[in-house]
Amino acid sequence: MKVVHYMNQFFAGLGGESAAGHPPTRIDGAVGPGKQLGVPVAVTLTCGDDYFGERETQALAQLLEWIECEEPDVLLCGPAFGSGRYGYACGTLAREASRRGIRSICAMHEENPGVFAADGAAFIVPTGETVAGMREALPKMARLASDLALGMTSPEGTVECLPRRSRQNYFSEKKGADRAIDMLIAKLCGGSYETEVEPPQDRVTPPPPLADLAYEKLALVTEAGVVPSGNPDGLEQCRAKSWHMYSVKGVQSLERGQYQSVHGGFDLTAANNNPNRLVPLDAVRKLQALGRIGEVHDYLYTTTGNCAPTAVAVKFGQEIAQHLQESKVSAVILTGT
Amino acid sequence: MTNVSSSLSQTREASDSSVGEAQRILEVGTYPVREVSESRATRLRDGRLEIDTEDLKALATTEPPVADVGVSVARPGDSIRLVNVLDAFQPAVKEGASDTTFSGVTGRLSPLGRGRTNCLDGVAVISTCDFRATHDVGQMLTPSRGYSTVDMDGPGRACSHFASTVNVVLDFKCNPAFSFADCDRSIRRASLKIAQRLAEATSDEVSPPSVEELTWGPVDKGLPAVCAIIQVGADEPLCDTFFYGASLRGTLPFLSDPREILDGALNSGFYDFSGGSNPTYFYQRNSLLLSLLRAHGRDLRLAGVILAVVYWPSAFEKSRNALLTAKLAENAGVQGAILTAFSIGNSHNDAMLTCRACETLGIKTVVVISETNGGLTDYVEEADAIVSVGNYEEIVDEWEPEEVIGGMYYDYEYSLPIAQPGPLPLLAYFGSTSQMGDMAMAVRSS
Repeated sequence: MKVVHYMNQFFAGLGGESAAGHPPTRIDGAVGPGKQLGVPVAVTLTCGDDYFGERETQALAQLLEWIECEEPDVLLCGPAFGSGRYGYACGTLAREASRRGIRSICAMHEENPGVFAADGAAFIVPTGETVAGMREALPKMARLASDLALGMTSPEGTVECLPRRSRQNYFSEKKGADRAIDMLIAKLCGGSYETEVEPPQDRVTPPPPLADLAYEKLALVTEAGVVPSGNPDGLEQCRAKSWHMYSVKGVQSLERGQYQSVHGGFDLTAANNNPNRLVPLDAVRKLQALGRIGEVHDYLYTTTGNCAPTAVAVKFGQEIAQHLQESKVSAVILTGT
Repeated sequence: MTNVSSSLSQTREASDSSVGEAQRILEVGTYPVREVSESRATRLRDGRLEIDTEDLKALATTEPPVADVGVSVARPGDSIRLVNVLDAFQPAVKEGASDTTFSGVTGRLSPLGRGRTNCLDGVAVISTCDFRATHDVGQMLTPSRGYSTVDMDGPGRACSHFASTVNVVLDFKCNPAFSFADCDRSIRRASLKIAQRLAEATSDEVSPPSVEELTWGPVDKGLPAVCAIIQVGADEPLCDTFFYGASLRGTLPFLSDPREILDGALNSGFYDFSGGSNPTYFYQRNSLLLSLLRAHGRDLRLAGVILAVVYWPSAFEKSRNALLTAKLAENAGVQGAILTAFSIGNSHNDAMLTCRACETLGIKTVVVISETNGGLTDYVEEADAIVSVGNYEEIVDEWEPEEVIGGMYYDYEYSLPIAQPGPLPLLAYFGSTSQMGDMAMAVRSS
């Protein structure tokens, strides 16, 4: 059995957060957790999480080239646990490798955005949220790899995997219009019909309302693409690859000429005349002065939601939420467009 | 419900009796075209359409905002990629009243959806324009974002209906002295003039191989009454929809004769998210309306088609529009509705709110919509009957054609020119996930 193992810069021993921009690298043999797998690893591939997130196309091209060159029986990715950036890279790489005919396995926590990124194309072994789950995860990955290498097509029976849910296009015998008419007649006449889209499962239950904002710390978060004028970090207008935080400490209002939106989903003329209408800092400051809001967080969090694939949106959301939590923020105004 | 629908039928009978029999019918004569070639005159002979490109160019450049236009033919199987595609049109002309063709845009105002229309089948007029080459459109929504592509061959061939038609491609260059809104208006007018000019060649042929009579008269009141609700985007220039030549921006939902739409009264001017928008060609040959008219009197009673604008900017306006659409359907006496969503993004909130409003009034509703990798943009529990026209995020393999028509590629992230776009999502393919159901694409879980 020939195995290629993908892991991020941290687990490959290249360094932590400071090495997150590390480009794709190929290493012969097993590295780090790969040594504990119990199956021989021919090649380890690694890439910094930031590098992958910011230059996905280049990273994928290089990693897939190495994988295809090796012709492995199985590609293993992770375990990424609860790490959103790492999980996203694992899920994306496994998805692309799978679609090129290479059997691929990821391991990560079930709420990791990498689960969306894998798009049902790869097997995903569920793990705990932290690295403490390593000891449990590795033997499951190894077992699944052996089963897949033996040619088993649905080895979920022997190793518990997350359900593979992928939505793939195909050409039906009937046009959408005629399927709709059939469905309506069945619905009107009490006949049986099957909806083509199942209700989504990822509903978020709103928390109970806050009793009094005067005792809370409020942050402003937006997907409206609001940035300081000139867009210093090059936030994308569409399909954003990053989110950013900008200090608004002491800033009373998002003045025209000092802030702008780069969002590509609507005509920006009115928004750029008064960016407060995208992120209501002016109103928040007035309420703060009146004592109606206890504290305003020093940072504005921003990205462009336009055309964001779900996996990316989940990853950004988790990362921003983690920041907010660490900053002891208790209330958020999230503005969308 | 019974009383409402019977009184509606009486109203229809009363109005029907006040007009002549011939006026109640739209007759569509169809001339199949197998081949298109350049020639010194535009004419049709035994399924071969010859086009006089110089004449077509002259027709287009009478519009001052059009600086130039390239005319070429793209056939199924050619190694050609069209980019920056704006719209597609079926060549059509009103017989005996050609000056009313495309009433309100190029023809004088006159009711459409009655009389005789001759059209060409198997051929489309396609407009392309690289607005960024001449205009600073900033981050305005242009067809460049998402590419707006038709691949005549390669892995993307199945993604657009227009890889199966022989296309007369009009590649427009704008005059920068005019606003891009003016340029767009002229491009639409020029394209429709050319679509009409091609269809005028049908007068060379003795009679069309097929004629369909589209009637919409009173039928058995025991059949369930239904309507189509077609949602359309009408926001701003390049993101607009036109009815009898005027923008639908800000309009209330209204009831229309399905045959008007099939006869060219509704035109697209919406180029954002090319896959999800509705090409004019799909309004002219609308599968949903044609199937509903054919089922009228057999399986159901068609009460009309409601056109409803979406992308309302606030929750109040979205809810109000949903309510007014549902009320209009109720006033039309329907028991069921097929609601077709438009494009992607917050327009899908409008679709779901309208579905909820209809169901709340007891109107059983089927929603036709597209989905993303993650499912639906929005969802309400009442939407228990959904037809999915495709997962627009699915990636189509890369293709390098020998020829690219329509200008530059621009990237998604900053709208900067790039040499090669790489693999494209389905959404980049023109009309691929138009939600009126004109394509056979569907989605399955695996």
